[in-house]
Amino acid sequence: MSSLFGTMSVALQSLLAQQGAMGVVANNIANSNTPGYSREVPVLQESPPTLMGNTMVGSGVNMSTVESVRDNILNLRIDQETSQQSSLGSYVNSMNQVQALFNETQGTGLQSYLSSFFNSFTSLSTDPTSSPLRQAALTAGENLAGAFSLTSQNLSTIQQGLDQSVVQTVQQVNQLTAQVANLNQQIKMISNSGESPGSLMDQRDEDLTNLSNLIDTAVVYSADGTASVTTTNGTLLVSGNQNDALTTQADSATGMHEILAQGTDITSSIAGGQLQGLIKARDSSIPSTQSSLDNLAAGLISAMNTQQNAGYNMNGGKGVDFFTPFTPTTAGSNAGAATTMTVALTDPSQIAASSDGTTGDNANATAMANLENQPIVSGQTPGAYYSNLINQVGNDVSNATSEQTAVGLVLQQLSNQQSSISGVSLDEEATNLVMYQRAYEASARVISVVDELVSTTIDMFTPS
Amino acid sequence: MGIRVNPNLYGIILSGLQTNTQLENQALQQVSSGQKLNSLSDDPAAASSLVNMRIESSSDAQYLQNISSLTGSLNVADSALSSVVEALTSAQSVGVEGANGTNNTSNRQALAQEVQGIQQEIMGLANTTYNGEYLFSGTATTTQPYVEDATSASGVTYKGNDSSNSVEISEGQAMPTSLPGSQLFSNPTTSVFQSLQDLYTALNSNGNISGATTEVQNALNYVSTQQTFYGNSVDRLNNAQTFLTQEQTQLTETEGNAVDVNMATAVTDLSQTVTTQQALLAAGGKISQLNLFDYLPSS
Repeated sequence: MSSLFGTMSVALQSLLAQQGAMGVVANNIANSNTPGYSREVPVLQESPPTLMGNTMVGSGVNMSTVESVRDNILNLRIDQETSQQSSLGSYVNSMNQVQALFNETQGTGLQSYLSSFFNSFTSLSTDPTSSPLRQAALTAGENLAGAFSLTSQNLSTIQQGLDQSVVQTVQQVNQLTAQVANLNQQIKMISNSGESPGSLMDQRDEDLTNLSNLIDTAVVYSADGTASVTTTNGTLLVSGNQNDALTTQADSATGMHEILAQGTDITSSIAGGQLQGLIKARDSSIPSTQSSLDNLAAGLISAMNTQQNAGYNMNGGKGVDFFTPFTPTTAGSNAGAATTMTVALTDPSQIAASSDGTTGDNANATAMANLENQPIVSGQTPGAYYSNLINQVGNDVSNATSEQTAVGLVLQQLSNQQSSISGVSLDEEATNLVMYQRAYEASARVISVVDELVSTTIDMFTPS
Repeated sequence: MGIRVNPNLYGIILSGLQTNTQLENQALQQVSSGQKLNSLSDDPAAASSLVNMRIESSSDAQYLQNISSLTGSLNVADSALSSVVEALTSAQSVGVEGANGTNNTSNRQALAQEVQGIQQEIMGLANTTYNGEYLFSGTATTTQPYVEDATSASGVTYKGNDSSNSVEISEGQAMPTSLPGSQLFSNPTTSVFQSLQDLYTALNSNGNISGATTEVQNALNYVSTQQTFYGNSVDRLNNAQTFLTQEQTQLTETEGNAVDVNMATAVTDLSQTVTTQQALLAAGGKISQLNLFDYLPSS
């Protein structure tokens, strides 16, 4: 049999436990809209029973700890998919700027300049001695060269913008890894003291998710509660309370910044996050577009110049280069051909329309116009080569966009799943609140009953 | 206990709204621009073939322009040659008249004068210009093809060359735009100017007038034959023009199919997204009002 005061202390313990539980409910409700918050549940435990004679009697309840409800594996998957999505997102944003330069759907791209250029020579072939037609051909050449040069410069500007973003993103990565390292330390300390570091873990989860937005991450949780973070390719970012900051350094050849971890270039091994998208656009897609543009320009320059040199100008003199000849800085590379494209001729009479020196002959003008249908750019006609370039740029964006949609759906599923595990449900909290409230009321009643019993016992000896 | 579901219904509604807003924007852009191809990535293959089609239709437009400017010069050359043929016909009549034995010397000299006039008329015609360029001097269009030359047996010298220009009138189809005077007015056995000179000399000296008249007749036949080149060329231009116009129409239509939106579909898509948007918003409004706390007594 338990004593009256024993019963009273059981009831008191219960009051404290229910109060604590209601505190957890209140905290859940308060954080029901906090991003990254995982709901907490009070862990109520039976107090160890006491032996009364030869009977074990329960000694009440106590709230042993508060547990944060989370699924770390699920969180890791979410981080991975987030990483994928950010990578695709930043790639699509970058390449959208690029595809806007080739605005063929509105008819304001390079095609109109190419067509006008060749058409001006077709036109000249009908009247090779006409000054207006010669002037028109020269102007069309200047416009074409200008369009190539501008498009190419704009590509470089976009590329430089992306390079700056890379540097800034690396700084953000370093800030976040420093924060994670700091939280690791605090979490470890609190865990050691036996308390639950739930809110710190939520903060760290939030930081890790933000980090995976920027770069691909792999997280391993240790028994002491700390999280070590590496890239998926194994570059260490955070270990315990230490973070390894990444650095950037401009490449002497390209001027673009490479990303270094402890002195090792990891630029090309980054496999997710905004950084990957930026790097892919900066180091792969844009250079490839730029080089196609350069090939096209170089092909046009060289074919036009060869044809010009084969003919005779209005005054019967030998033809000279139409465009300023392109001299590669590196043998075999056309890099720079588009940016530097200019017309070398200054006088329309220098156009070598004649193939035999006769002023009125048009055969060379026709030959120049016909270059439009000759395989002068990597075995293709200029038009076909350009239309492939357009296809390539469009595909780069559209493939990434569809992939982005697919990853978005997966991510939505995962977030839904995460929310169903960790999200705060007000209905549930209301139910729990009522439950704890009733238990509290009942315990309070137990105390007042025991109190009455104690009075009765005392009154037994009081003369009435 | 049942499976715990995601309590955050707002998140679900929100992502639904975001997806739907994106579709709505797309549909709206299509309706307002009238284009389904607004950026390369909307349909890279279509964008790339659009480029090819525009190159082709732009060339076609240029060919059509070539045709119209060529038609002008060919017509002028053709009518000049008709006048040459007419003049030669008169010269032939003069020859026939001169061969009549009843003529005396002064009659024949008068006829010779007439032949000389015809000679000059034909020389003028052979030096016809169009847009300031000589039509019958081969490719030496800035050089006057025929000049008087007393040292020459025919009385004239040809200063042009024997070449002719060709112009493309559709892709891969080049057409000579003129015949050089050296080919139009003479061949190894016949010469317009030589025959007229011979007739003139024969009339003046009462020589072989009928022989010279036959020469003129041959020259006349020869020039007539050469003239058909111009008629044929104009026909060829007309055919090419018809073909190019048809091809352009075809290209415009195909281009339209690639770029232009089907309005009925686009508007239906748009109104569908609007309906979805309203439904989602209505659902959002409803869930916000419901939770257990509303039903608990607030004592």
